[in-house]
Amino acid sequence: MSDLITFLTPYLISGLGVGAVYALSGVGLVVLYRASGVLNFAFGALGAISAYCAWSLLELDYPQVVVWLAAIVVSTLLSLLYGALLAPRLAHRDRTTRSIATLGFALVILGFTEWFWGETVRRLSLPTDAEALDFGDIRLTYTRILSLILALIMMSAISLLLNKTRLGLHMRALANNRSLSALLGIAVTRIDTAAWLISGAFAGVCGLLLANMVRLQATTLTFMVIPAFAAAIIGRLSSLPITVAAGIVIGMLEALSITIPGFAIYRSVTPFLLALIAMMIFAVAYPASIES
Amino acid sequence: MYTQFLIASVLLAASHQAMAAEKANCGLNNGKKATGLPIPLGAVMGKTGPDDFSSSAATTEAYFKCVNDNGGIQGRPIEYTVVDDQWNPEIAAQLASKLVQDRKVVAMVGSASFVECGANAKLYEQAGVMVIAGVGVPRECFQSKNYVPMNAGPRLAATTVAMYAKQRYKSKKFVCIAPNIPGLGEWACGGVAAWGAKNGVVSETILIDPGSADASSVILQASSKNPDVIILNLPKGLLTPMLGAAEQQNLGKKIKFLAPASGYSVELPKAIGPYWKDNFDVALEFQPIDANTAENKNWLAILNQYGNKKDPRDTFSQAGYLAAKLTTETLLKLDPAKINRATVTEALRQISDFKSELLCRPFYIGTGKRHNANNFSRVATSTGSSWAVRSECSAVLDPELADIYQNELQLGLKR
Repeated sequence: MSDLITFLTPYLISGLGVGAVYALSGVGLVVLYRASGVLNFAFGALGAISAYCAWSLLELDYPQVVVWLAAIVVSTLLSLLYGALLAPRLAHRDRTTRSIATLGFALVILGFTEWFWGETVRRLSLPTDAEALDFGDIRLTYTRILSLILALIMMSAISLLLNKTRLGLHMRALANNRSLSALLGIAVTRIDTAAWLISGAFAGVCGLLLANMVRLQATTLTFMVIPAFAAAIIGRLSSLPITVAAGIVIGMLEALSITIPGFAIYRSVTPFLLALIAMMIFAVAYPASIES
Repeated sequence: MYTQFLIASVLLAASHQAMAAEKANCGLNNGKKATGLPIPLGAVMGKTGPDDFSSSAATTEAYFKCVNDNGGIQGRPIEYTVVDDQWNPEIAAQLASKLVQDRKVVAMVGSASFVECGANAKLYEQAGVMVIAGVGVPRECFQSKNYVPMNAGPRLAATTVAMYAKQRYKSKKFVCIAPNIPGLGEWACGGVAAWGAKNGVVSETILIDPGSADASSVILQASSKNPDVIILNLPKGLLTPMLGAAEQQNLGKKIKFLAPASGYSVELPKAIGPYWKDNFDVALEFQPIDANTAENKNWLAILNQYGNKKDPRDTFSQAGYLAAKLTTETLLKLDPAKINRATVTEALRQISDFKSELLCRPFYIGTGKRHNANNFSRVATSTGSSWAVRSECSAVLDPELADIYQNELQLGLKR
């Protein structure tokens, strides 16, 4: 048994970092969904463009802190622009239409990123890569530790925002019933815009971390939204702690599945598989909720 | 004094300008635009997907633009259609069928795709269309009568670095990592295993899911097998995160990392960083991209004048250049009024001595059942910012080449 644990531990630790970013992305998706009812398919593309901006600024020798902040500002501004200019025009359409519209936004950003930066090999190194905790067979870089800490901090911060602040109360009200909230005098557009802003900032942070841990490639980063969706779905698009836990578990199981002969070569299906199992369980456990 | 300085400055600027604007040399090279009946040629490449393989066809396109601006094929312009298979065999089959059946292409030139050989090799054979591909990747590209890749392929390139590792690092155990793509993974690492078995080196193959985001686990799995060499038989888009993961685990200090020609691009040494200085070797399928030869300069001149500024100047681009040049030279030898699929296919099959400084030795096509004429290779090492060539052209000793050697003997080619 102890041999098995020794054998599996490096993979579990390895999956922890990426899993933490899935968790962070999941929180970014849930916060927007809870406020505006939109599943943001552009989350990954926003992260990608912020990572490319960071790479360009690093090439120009800007200080790391400036680069990180600038990259997050780019994704936040783009998200804000969409939230302030396009999203209100779709506000009265159903949730599916509003969510699919973000797919169009994702494709525009992806197209621009590929056109502007072209397809050459790049790598986004962060100063936190240089140091690591050594666990014998595996080193856990500070970037991965940072991801884990950020996921936990941001989950707590967003939970506080939603549950303890006026903005959070309005966000929850909007998620329950937009028309009624508007009748009660809640500034729907303003609350929506705030949610887009928060989600954009999350996208920027996740883009930087994923570009470092996975790869700096626009298409890959754009579609990294899928494991995050899986985490958010397992959290039933509402529970932040479950979303965070699901994100981390997805990352760890994906890493662990490399040890399963036959399944290792298909292990990228892990997030889908887990989301599918979760939905089947929900269908049995909460039939009324699924029907609604 | 001021006048002297001015004259010197003008002369310096003029000479620099001349170097930067090396004139592209192609086709009839007469500066006249071709206006006759277009000759339809096509290419299938994988651009959108896990990696971008468009540089080969992009360079072929630039070359044909140059040809069209310089007299075309005895006055006939080349109408070149490039399609993106999106790494999807179904799309590859649909697009190739349109090119072959609707656009009636007389040949395919400069193709580079992970999926099209498996999907389309039969179609090309049945329709009598020759494919002078820039880059062949999976096994099917090197096992078809009508598919002629200009490159050596991942199997031979991986065998090249394996031979180099044994000779230079005295390696005893290899792990070869390849993507789990039908016709690629096991086959691409098969040359390493077969050559290793004959030369006292143990080799294990790890097939990976190319869609997975997690490179660290792959590297951990490979290192757990205690190899002294890891061969990353992967496209360059996957190479970088693998090397990044290996660096984060500090594995470069105890294991040598090597890759086939997919890793040989100008930007890679800088992208992977100083950690890999003198610590990462790749195979070269063509002349080094910075070689100061007339042919290399012409390749770059064509790209600079007729290509897109953002197109990579990489080994796949060299392959696209060679495919275009070989086809152009062949078409120019034909009666322009009699250029059709049958005459072009026949003329291409007659090629037995196509020379280029980019190649280790003359290229041939012939009537063999399969084609792998580019079977000599070199090795280069990352210097942290560029590449340094470490070995000269030498034959790749993959046992699978036995039938190719036989064909070469029949064609009277010396090894």
